[in-house]
This record gives sequence, C-alpha cells and structure tokens, in this order.
Amino acid sequence: MSTSDPYELIEQYLERVKVYLPYGTEEETLAELRTHLLEEAERIGNGRISAGSAMMAIERLGDPKAVANEYAGSGEKVGPLPTEYVEPVFRILLILTGISLAFIVGAVIVGFGFATLLGETAFIIENPLAIALMIAVNLIIVFAIIGGLSLLDRNKPMTEKTTMESILGVGSDSLKPKPRTDAIGDLVMSSVFIVVLLHPAIQALYTTSFSAVLWMVIVFLALSAVKGALFTYGGENNFNLVFEAGTGFLWVLFAMVLVNVGWPTIGFYAYSEGVWEVFTLAGLDALAGLPISSVFTYVWIFIIFVIVVSNIWRIIAAAMKVPIYMQEGKGLWWKGSWGDHSIKRRPLWKRLFKPSESSQEPTARSDGYEESDT
Amino acid sequence: MTKKTQEELERWQKEVKRGAVTLAILSLLNKKRAYGYEAVKLLDERTSFLALEQGTVYPLLRRLEKRELLESQWDYEDPTKPKKYYAVTEQGRAALKEMSGTWSTLSREMERIILEDEIE
Repeated sequence: MSTSDPYELIEQYLERVKVYLPYGTEEETLAELRTHLLEEAERIGNGRISAGSAMMAIERLGDPKAVANEYAGSGEKVGPLPTEYVEPVFRILLILTGISLAFIVGAVIVGFGFATLLGETAFIIENPLAIALMIAVNLIIVFAIIGGLSLLDRNKPMTEKTTMESILGVGSDSLKPKPRTDAIGDLVMSSVFIVVLLHPAIQALYTTSFSAVLWMVIVFLALSAVKGALFTYGGENNFNLVFEAGTGFLWVLFAMVLVNVGWPTIGFYAYSEGVWEVFTLAGLDALAGLPISSVFTYVWIFIIFVIVVSNIWRIIAAAMKVPIYMQEGKGLWWKGSWGDHSIKRRPLWKRLFKPSESSQEPTARSDGYEESDT
Repeated sequence: MTKKTQEELERWQKEVKRGAVTLAILSLLNKKRAYGYEAVKLLDERTSFLALEQGTVYPLLRRLEKRELLESQWDYEDPTKPKKYYAVTEQGRAALKEMSGTWSTLSREMERIILEDEIE
C-alpha cells in the first residue's frame, strides 16, 4: 500500500480509472465514483473512514480498468499487449505514424523546393531516411519499454497507478484547459523572442537559409503571442481552440520548411579579451578536430520535433473539445475556464491539514448496515 | 454440477440479468429518485440474483440517462460529496409500463412451461 491516507487511496484509485475513461466524461464520472467510495468507506467503517474501509470500498467497486471499460462500453479486448492497453496504445501509435509519414513526405517535398531556391542542399535531401530511422528506432524502444513495464507493474496494488498508466495519463492531463499563467507565458515569451530575433546583433549570426525565412518566423511568433493574449483574456472557448488549432496546423507546415533550414546561426558570440567576438561553428569543428557542429543539426531536428508534436497535440485536443462544447450548446465565444480546479475533490485544506481524517463523527445511515472493517 | 453446466448457467444468468436489471432500476427509481450510491444499495437490499458488481451500476444509470429513460440532477449541498440524483422521465415511465407488462407475461408463460415440464 503506497499511503495510509484513505482519501489519498481513493484519489489514487480514481486516477487509475481516469486513464481509461473516454474523454469528456472524466469529471462527472469521477465525482460520482468519489462520492460512492466515500460513502461506502464510511458505511463499512461505521461512519468513519480508515485506510482499511477505503481499500474495501475500492475492492468492492472493482478493477479500475473494468469500471472504466463499462463506461466506455468497450468491454474486454485481446491483443499482443495487455488487453487494457491495446486501445490507447494503438490510438497513440496510429496518430504518431500518421503524423510521422505526413511530416516526412512534407519535409522531403519542401526540401527539394528549398534547396532549389537557395542553391543549397537541404539536410533532409542529404539524409532522406534520417527522420524515418529515428522514428523507427524510437518505436522499437517504446515497444520494449511497454513490454518491460507491463511485467514489472503486474503485482502493484489496486490503488497504485502503474507506470504505463502514468504515461497514458499524461495525455488526458494535457487535455485540461490551459492555465492562465501558461497563456501569459505564451504571450510574453513569443514577444520576447520577436525582439531578440530582430536584434541586429543576433541577425548578424543567421545563416543564409534562416535569413530567408526570418520574417515568416516573426509572423508565426506574433500569431503565438496573439493566441496567448486570447487565452489570457477569454480562457478556453471554441474561438480560441480553433485559433490555436489553426496556428498549430500552420506551425506544422512551417516546420517542414524549418527542418530543411538547419541550425539557424553560423556561430555564437564569445567574450574574449574585453570584446565580443563571433565564434563560428566551423571554427569550433577546426578547433576540436571533430564535426561538433553537426550536433547542432540534431538539436535543431529535436526542436522542430517538439514544435510538431506539441502543435499536433493542440490540433487533436481542439478536434476533441470543440465538438463537445458544440454539443453542450456553447457558441464560438464565451468566457471560458483556465487550468483545472475541480470543486468536486476533497478541499485542499482538508487534504493538507487533515490527511488521515479517520476520527470524524460517525454518520447516521439509513441503510441499516452495521458492518465494520475491523 | 459439471464445469460445462456451470459455464452454461453463468452465461445464461448473465443474459437474463442484462434485461432484468434495467427493469429493476427503472422500477426502483420510479418509486423514489436516488443518487448512484443509493441506487446501488437499493438494488443490493432488494435483490440477490440481480446484485451486480458495484462498478457496473453507474454505467448502466448513465446509459439509461443517455437513452432518455432517466434524467439526472447534481446536488452540491455537501461539496465534498456531490450527488447525482437520477429520476425516471416520462419516456422512462412509459417504457417501464410496457416492460413490466412484458415481464409479467414472460414470467407467467415461463412458469407454465416449467410446470408442464415438471408434471410430465
């Protein structure tokens, strides 16, 4: 047992159920199940909640995957992976494969055009299989990790989230509305980047390829700043979600260009003998006698990868959320919410200051049960 | 009882339960609206054959709500334990009436068939 706090045990169990619940139903479902577990634990403990009564209530409610599957209506599944992971993992892999294929094809096509335009050979043209190879190797590693973790997770108690569930749960957590601080961060950081990128001293470092797309980068950063301002003011609503998905889509298209541009600077500034000097990457290679500058190429690919993945995720999130909001009869614009502040949880002060509230007053029950967990 | 007979019995019981539990829930909630936990307990107290795993009652309530046989309302009087109350809708009442009639016919006819079988 990972904790002796009954409320914490219940929350841990609900976190596990949440991983398998269909999107858009989590809050209501979990609130209903939380009330059930609290009342059942109280009943078992004759009006008091203890770790023992909470565990019994949890066991009676059933396996978290089975409970969530009943809601999802999916039932049991069979596959090479543990049955409960088949659907989420397959979904994630399908999305990633689709994105990867689209991105590789797009990047190669843009690479041809870009190379012709600048009279240079783009990275992706020189290494057409680099991204595909990276994806393939990573997928093999992911499969190996999934298999290993599944074996290690098998004997964990019902309340303890498995490692696999923690990973799969990341997705559902990132579907929560954007916190206001994040929205302000988007606005401020994009604005700061624009100022930095336009500074003449920084511009002097750009490669020819990056100089050719600098204004496009500025436009995209400006769009990100506008998005940050919209979310700061209006929170999550359909207009902001569509705007975010739209800019996300444009970012993915633009990433195909950026991946061909390569590392954007010819070097960096170094302070030497009282003056700032430009230290070129070529000079770094010569100094070390190794092609160290190529490391920057891979750093650049990683940055582009992060841009693509984060924007694709925003598109997917918007595609899931907008129809749900439409079904709820919400229009295009309203004052939406920020972050996740569930009022249905046990109050924070109670969780902090009364972690093991096992001595509360017995609750009078109408069902006549006098069962004890002792 | 052989293992095969046991398996057959379990399969059959599952099929019978599936239909009967809907009727039982509608019938119980038609007398008095109840929140999820109450519905679970009502079912537990009044039935043995239909006693379901607790976790399966909530999805059933949700499905009946989706099919507009039940309607729900949240009660936040105790913010630490919000309760979702379920009540039978007009459509649910109409369905319940038909289902109850069908159930009576079914049990009457089944009883007759089983009795005939026993007499023979």
